Parts: sequence; structure tokens; C-alpha cells
Amino acid sequence: MQHIDPEHHDGTSDATPGGDETCRRPGELAFAALMLLASLGLLWSAYGISGFEALSSPGTVPMATTLVMVVAALIVVVKTALQPKTTTETLAKDILPGIVIIFAAMLVAYGFLLKPLGFIPTSALFLTASIKILAKRSWAWTLLVSLGSLVVIWLIFRIVFTVLMPVGIVPEAEVIQFFRNLLNGAGT
Amino acid sequence: MDFLTVFTQPQLLLLVGLGTFAGIYVGAIPGLSVTMAVSILISFTFSWDVYPAISLMIGIYMGGVYGGSRTAILLNIPGAPSAIATALDGYPMARRGEAGTAIGVTTVMSFIGGFVGIAVLALAAPLVSDFALTFQPRDYMLLAVLGILLVGSLSQGSLVKGIFAGALGIAIGAVGRDPLTFTERFTFDISLMQGGISFIAVMIGMFGVSEALIQLHHVDKAAVRQKITRIVPSLATVRKHLPLSLQTSTIGVAIGALPGTGGDIAALMAYDHAKRVTKNPERPFGDGAMEGLVAPETANNAAVGGAFIPMMTLGIPGDAVTAIMIGALFIHGLNPGPMLMIDKPDMFWFIVGALVTANFFILIFGLTGIRLFTKLVEMPRSVLIPLIMLLSIVGAYAVNNSITDVYWMLGFGLFGYFMRHYGYPLGPVILGVILSRLLDDNWRRAIISEREDFWRFMEGVLTSPLSLVLFVSVVLIFVSQTPVWTWGKALLSGRPHKVSGNEQHD
Amino acid sequence: MKKFVLGAVSALVFATTAAVAADYPSKEIQGIIQWGAGGSTDTVMRSVTPHAEEALGGTIVMQNMTGGVGAIALNNVAGQPADGYTLLMGAENPLLYKVMGLGDKDYSDFIPVTLLARGTPILVANKDAPFDDYDGMMAYIKENPGELRVGATGPGGLPSVITAMMNTVEGELDVISVPYDGDGPALTALQGGAIDVMPAVLGAAIEGIRAGNMKPLAIFDVAKNEKLPDVPLVTSFNDGYNTYLPWGPFFGVFVVKGTPDDVVAKLSKAYAEGAKNEEFVELMDNRGFKMMGISGAEAEDFLAKWQQGTTWLLQDAGLTKASPEEFGIKRPSE
Repeated sequence: MQHIDPEHHDGTSDATPGGDETCRRPGELAFAALMLLASLGLLWSAYGISGFEALSSPGTVPMATTLVMVVAALIVVVKTALQPKTTTETLAKDILPGIVIIFAAMLVAYGFLLKPLGFIPTSALFLTASIKILAKRSWAWTLLVSLGSLVVIWLIFRIVFTVLMPVGIVPEAEVIQFFRNLLNGAGT
Repeated sequence: MDFLTVFTQPQLLLLVGLGTFAGIYVGAIPGLSVTMAVSILISFTFSWDVYPAISLMIGIYMGGVYGGSRTAILLNIPGAPSAIATALDGYPMARRGEAGTAIGVTTVMSFIGGFVGIAVLALAAPLVSDFALTFQPRDYMLLAVLGILLVGSLSQGSLVKGIFAGALGIAIGAVGRDPLTFTERFTFDISLMQGGISFIAVMIGMFGVSEALIQLHHVDKAAVRQKITRIVPSLATVRKHLPLSLQTSTIGVAIGALPGTGGDIAALMAYDHAKRVTKNPERPFGDGAMEGLVAPETANNAAVGGAFIPMMTLGIPGDAVTAIMIGALFIHGLNPGPMLMIDKPDMFWFIVGALVTANFFILIFGLTGIRLFTKLVEMPRSVLIPLIMLLSIVGAYAVNNSITDVYWMLGFGLFGYFMRHYGYPLGPVILGVILSRLLDDNWRRAIISEREDFWRFMEGVLTSPLSLVLFVSVVLIFVSQTPVWTWGKALLSGRPHKVSGNEQHD
Repeated sequence: MKKFVLGAVSALVFATTAAVAADYPSKEIQGIIQWGAGGSTDTVMRSVTPHAEEALGGTIVMQNMTGGVGAIALNNVAGQPADGYTLLMGAENPLLYKVMGLGDKDYSDFIPVTLLARGTPILVANKDAPFDDYDGMMAYIKENPGELRVGATGPGGLPSVITAMMNTVEGELDVISVPYDGDGPALTALQGGAIDVMPAVLGAAIEGIRAGNMKPLAIFDVAKNEKLPDVPLVTSFNDGYNTYLPWGPFFGVFVVKGTPDDVVAKLSKAYAEGAKNEEFVELMDNRGFKMMGISGAEAEDFLAKWQQGTTWLLQDAGLTKASPEEFGIKRPSE
């Protein structure tokens, strides 16, 4: 049986991983090496928790698991290094195309702005910008779709599930209280 | 009879229905959890009578466990941890345009699983809870080891990468202050890390954000047209999978009844079980095998009935949701505990009745309105991708009202993106995080109880029948699932490997 | 539409001007619960707050914020403006953060709105344990050193304080301390025989005792408990315990220090009113909690005394990371 999407190796074809078992993808060796370094760092950190104090000490299981990570990462590095390099793929085209970098940057920016600016303005900016970039349609359509879906999400999370997202510059609680008063006023 | 209370009062029937309907959506949205919904309902239903309040909560609970499968199938983003295994074969089906069939099978199987769980609750609750109580720390630890071995069946590419991912998951689960001694682990002296990394944040990041980033490669490709002609699975299909579904339902009830383990572990174990017992799947697992849907969906719904068993018989919660329900019963003036079944048997039968009702509502709501849900995947990717990203952010925040969780979620999203590209499976990471505390805490409890004496610990394992059975299963599965020998040979010869789990693909 | 704009503008004005106590509460109040959903702090707070809301005439939105044994929630609320719009709903353990090295903030950075109720510790045993009372247990420990498994919930938890008390009064006991992450899981383990003895809060164990699933050994209090009148007091076995009892965990609602007095007064009044609700009183009584309902200077005194007694007890048992002295916590006798 053929895989659904044989021309891509990015893991969209099934919930199991992408990758290419026959050759080394661009950047794969660097990633494997990074994993090895990180595992070594974590092993050192795990050793620092409680050393070889006792079988029941808080560091025992972390040390065992990070040791497994180091060994597994080492095998992966060796195997990857021995594989032939792919001839059809490049880093800029298949692993990190411009659009992915742009979105990754936008997500990081979102993380930074969320607290100072607040949930509603940050999300409005994010949705509008990203839909505009991807859909390439008119501003009116973009604003309608992005603000419309933001309102729905906000209503579900903030009003129904009372999740208090960072308010930032928007006086959210006051606005809600205003509507609550309005409702109560209408009721009496 | 109290069992019929729900059916005879239209108001209660309506509340269960409403709850189930809402639950399906709560379950489907990653980050909105049943636990959250039910704890909000406590304040909301505060002034109500106990029956209506419980009706609504049970509806949400049943619906929510089922609803998690929706987004797992349609978007490859499990709406709840218990739907992780559902994504493994459900999403490939959606990509073939068979989302309707997948949802249909899931619904019927959830119904069957739910029903088995309720039946065990109604008929054998005291028996099962006595059994669940006999689990000692060492048994929980062995159970966790058994779970860790699932890495073998979740790593379809490279087993070594799967092992790496699984170990990473366990390490992620250990971050923060250790709950037993409050020692800091992997916190690097950063105070934000003391609280640890939210498991839901890892899940949403790895599945939601990384999936959205991957989809960016295919923005311009048209969405797969979904055939929604045959939604209700044929009787022959149901009959064919009935033996498997009964086995996996049993796994679900048992794991659900154990305090401290729930539907997420049950579903993964059931998936693994299906993979081992199914000799000739119509399609390979991971490419849209029907059995890969049947197993986790029966198990996680059966786990609901299972979770009520210790709650109703002993006042011990079987999972997070039943823990809140115990609180709700208190608030409504009841005293959940071993005496509840004796003092107030009507409450027990009422809950059984409400569960049965909710289960039927799943069948009704599950098989209707699929068209609307499948429209979701046919939405243009240019809108869907940003929405998935925003929902992931809100969802990660909602879990614990913490911005730190949002940062983790984004970090793991980017990390997961690279992992997917380089063939590291994501399932084992989540598995590791789920099992981390079960393994770590219980290993330590077990060895502390034996005064740090490893041989005394092994003696305990070999002399207790339950531990022995678990131990033998661990050994057998280890030998049968990880072909240690062939793998070692391939490694030595340095050839490109062909590892287990991959064989059936070629 | 015009009305809406006007409303939004006036709302904005509200936000920029300082909270005026006369109008308090002019917007919804956040209540941060230190522990997870379904725990006893959660249950207590979710059942009293709706009554308090009624008395206050405002809305209190509660949310759980877990992690770091409650320190995450405490630090979060401490970082909010002192305007009475963020409440901390917590239990006793933050008073031990400093000596346990879990954080540098505790309730001294807060004003108690109310201390609702306190719990009574009780020592329970597995129903098949080879002893039936406190004396029997002590004899068993002497005959079988290092065999009795006692449940614990981590440093600073109720079991650790009770165990410290026992070690101080009876001399060092040679037992195995098995840690669990809460009294719920530990009591489950007790019924399954994974541990033999567990010091727990009475409310968590009472239903198991009534059903005969666990044996009560002794109540750690100075007066008999109405709920379990047949269970002996620990002081009847050894009056050395009188020095440390009564002692118990408690629940309270707090606001950040610096919150205007009249706002605190309004909140205190609302919670005092809410705590009088019959249903709530009955609920607490069923759980074996003693109502306190104190606020103001009385509550501050209680907190200070509790902190002195407990931190020094733990310090003398060698369980602390830092001496109470470093934080200016005086020995109880001084």
C-alpha cells in the first residue's frame, strides 16, 4: 500500500513522522547534533538534582531518561551522518521556506505583545496580518473574516468559559460590567 | 426505579442532551477541557437541585470525551489528550476524503465503548473497585513501564528516534518542583519553570501549531473534498470489529477505574493492543486503518464508566472530572464515600441512568451534523491556519491561566515542526509526558516502601500475583515488540535500518 | 449605538481613575484559587463565594491556578494592583514557604479578608493494621523498627507537621515515610494497604471511617469531636501534645497589602455574611471543619501565631531549609 502523500516528507501524510528514511534531509544532521548536545546538557542537569544519593531520590528517573536520550541521540547522529545527502531538497525550499519563517516570527511577536497589549488587540493584529498574507484578498474581506472569528473566540472563551486573558490596554472588565448593568437595568 | 428517573423527567433529559451537545464542542476545541467546563458548572449550577446539576455535568463529560476525536480526525489536532491515538489513523482517513466514514465509525464505537463502561459500572462496581484498590505503587510503576513500551508501536519511522522522543517526554514531565520532595528539577534557577510544563501546552503546541506550520507548505493546494455519502457504518463493519471493540473496552474500563490513570493512557494502550492482535488490517496502521479508530475510541469512552466506579463505591475519584463531581456532590449536601451506595442508592442508579442517556445522545448528535464539521476541513487553508494558531494560543492559556504555558506551547510548536521534518515521531513525546509522573512517583514510592532495597522490591514484584502478571507482560511485550536482536545486528552492519513497525508498510 | 459608545467611554474613564471604594465593586472581581479543581480549597471557595457575591452585589470569577504548591498563584496575585479586584483563595501552607525555601512571599504580603474555617487532624490506619489505637501503634513501632509505612504529602504538608509533632513529643520514631501528592491519593493507598498509617484532615477521612474502611487511631485536638465522639484524643495518650494543639490547616481569602481599608471592610463583611449561609455551614460541618469567620487584627494575630508555632516545630524537627529566625519569625514562647 502506497503512502498517501509520497512526494512530501514532512509528516502531513499521517500522524506519524515525516522524514526520509533513505537519505539525509537538509539540516537533519545539525538537528541531530543539537539534540545530542541538549541531551548531554539535560543529563548534566539531572545529575545535579541529587547525584547518586539513593534509588528513590528525585534525580534517579531524570538521570535514567536523559541517559537514554543521550544514547539514542548518539545513534541517530551516527546513522544520519552515514546516510547519503538528499539531492532533491534544499533547506530554503523544503524545510524552512520564507512563509514558515514569517509565521514563526509572527508567533514569537504574538508572545511578546500578548501581555503589554492585551489579548484582543494582539489577536486582531495577528489574524488580520496572517489572513491577509495567506489569502491575498481585499482588506474588507480580510478584516471581516478575522475580526468576526475573533469575536466568536472571545465570546466562547471569555464570556462562556470565563477565561481571563491578559487585558492589556483594553478595559475589558469595565466594558463587561457596563453590559451587565445594561442587562440588569433592562431586567428591573 | 431510580434508573429511569432521567427518562421520565423531560427537564433532566433535556439537560443531559444539552450537556452532551455542548460537551462535543468543548471536547473538540483543544484547550477547552471537560475538567474546566465541569468546574465552571459547579458555580453555575450552585443553586440548582442535585439531579439537574449532575445531569448537565454527565452530559458534558460523555460528550467531551467523544468530541475530542472530531478535531483529531479532521485536523490532526486532538481536542483532548484521550484523542491522541485517534489522530493516528483518523486523520489519514480524512486525507483520503473519508472523514465522514471515520466520524461514523468513531461515533458507533464510542457508543459501544461507553455502553460497556456503564454496564460494568452498573453490574460490577464493588468488585472492580476492590480490584483497583489492590494496585500497589509497584503495580502502577509496572503499568507505566508497560505504557512506555508503546513507544514501539507509536514510532513508525525509526525506533531510535521514537525512543529518544519518549525519553524526552518523560524528562519534560519531570520539569519543575518535584511534587514529592519539592526539589527543583530541570528548572535552571528560573522561577517561571518551578510550576513545570503543562502537558496540555506541550500537546497543543506539538500537534496544533506544528501542524499549522506544516500546512503552510501546502497553502495553495485545494482542500480534500470529503465524501459524506456513507456515514453510518454498515452492520457488517460493526460486527467485524465487535470482538476487538469488546477487548479494548475492557482495557478502557480497567484503566479508567484505576485512580490516577484515565482515558488518555487507556486509548493509547488500546491502540497498541489493536495493532498487535489485528493480523491483516485492510490498510496498514497509520495509513487509515479502521482498527486504529475502533480501539482508542471504545477505550476512552469505556474509561468514563470506569472512572465512576471508584467514585461511586469509595468516594475516590477515577480521574480529574470525577474529582470535581465529588466536590459537586458535597456542595449539594451529599457525602460521597463508601456509604453513599448504602445511604443513597438512588444517586448511584440516577448516575447510571444519566450516563446511558448521554451515551444515546452521542449516537444522535454524533451521526447528525457531520456535514457541518467536515466543512471545517474544506475551509480555505489561508483562514484555517491562522485560526488554528490563535485557538492553540487561547487554549494553552486557558488550561492554567498562565502566559508561561503560551510560551511553552509556541516553543514546542516550533520544535515539533522540526521533529516532524526530520522523522521524529510526536506520539512518544506525549506518551512520555503522560506517563512521567506515574512512573517516577510510583517507582520512588515503591522503593521507599521497601527501604531502598532493590531485592526486596523484586521479591515483592515476584510474589504478588498482580505484580507478577504485569511484570511478565512487560517482559513479553518488550521481547515481542522490540526485535532487540535484529535491530542490534542492523546497527552493527551499519546498513540503513528497517525497523519493526515499519515492516507492514512495505 | 450612541448609548453603547457612551458606555464604553465612561467605562474607559473608570479604568483610568483610581478605584473608588464607594463604587466598589464597579467591575468583576477575580478570585484565584491556589489549588486544583476538585480539591478541598476549591470546594470550600466555590461553595462560599456565591453567597458572598450576593452580599457584595458583585461578580467574582473564580479560576484555579496550580503549581509550585500554590506559590504560583500567590506570586501572581501579589503582582496585581492593590485595588481589591483580585482575591487570593488559599490554605495554610504559604505561611511555610519561606522556611521551606519555596518562595520569598507569604501571607505577610497580604491582608486577610476572612479566615473561613479550620480542619482537625486525625491519625487513621489501614483496617487490617495489627493495632487498634495510638498506644498499640507506638508499641508496634518499637517492636518493628523501620517497618511501619506512614503516608506523607511532601514537606510542609499536614502529615509532615503531625509527624514532626509526634517525633518531638514521643522521640524520634523509626518509620518509613511514603510521599503522595495529596491526602486523597494517600488515603486511597491506605485503603489498598500500600501504607499503614496516615495523618489526614478529618473531613477527608470521615466517610472512610464511617464505612469501616479505615481505623481512626487518635484525633489531634484538645476537645472531643462531635462527628466522631468515640475516637480518643491524642492528648489522652500523651499530654505532651498539649503544647502544640490545637493546630490545623485552614482556608482563607486574601487581598494584596495596600488595598484600601474600606474595600477590605466591604469584602470582609460580604464573606462574613456568606459564611453564615445555612447550606454552607452544614457543608462545612459535614466535612468536619470548624467555622472561624475571623478577619482584621484577630485574623492577623492568628496567622502570626500559627506561623510561629508551625515553623519552629518544623525547624526543631530538622525539616526546614532555612531557620524561621532569618525571616524574623520568633519562637512561640518568646
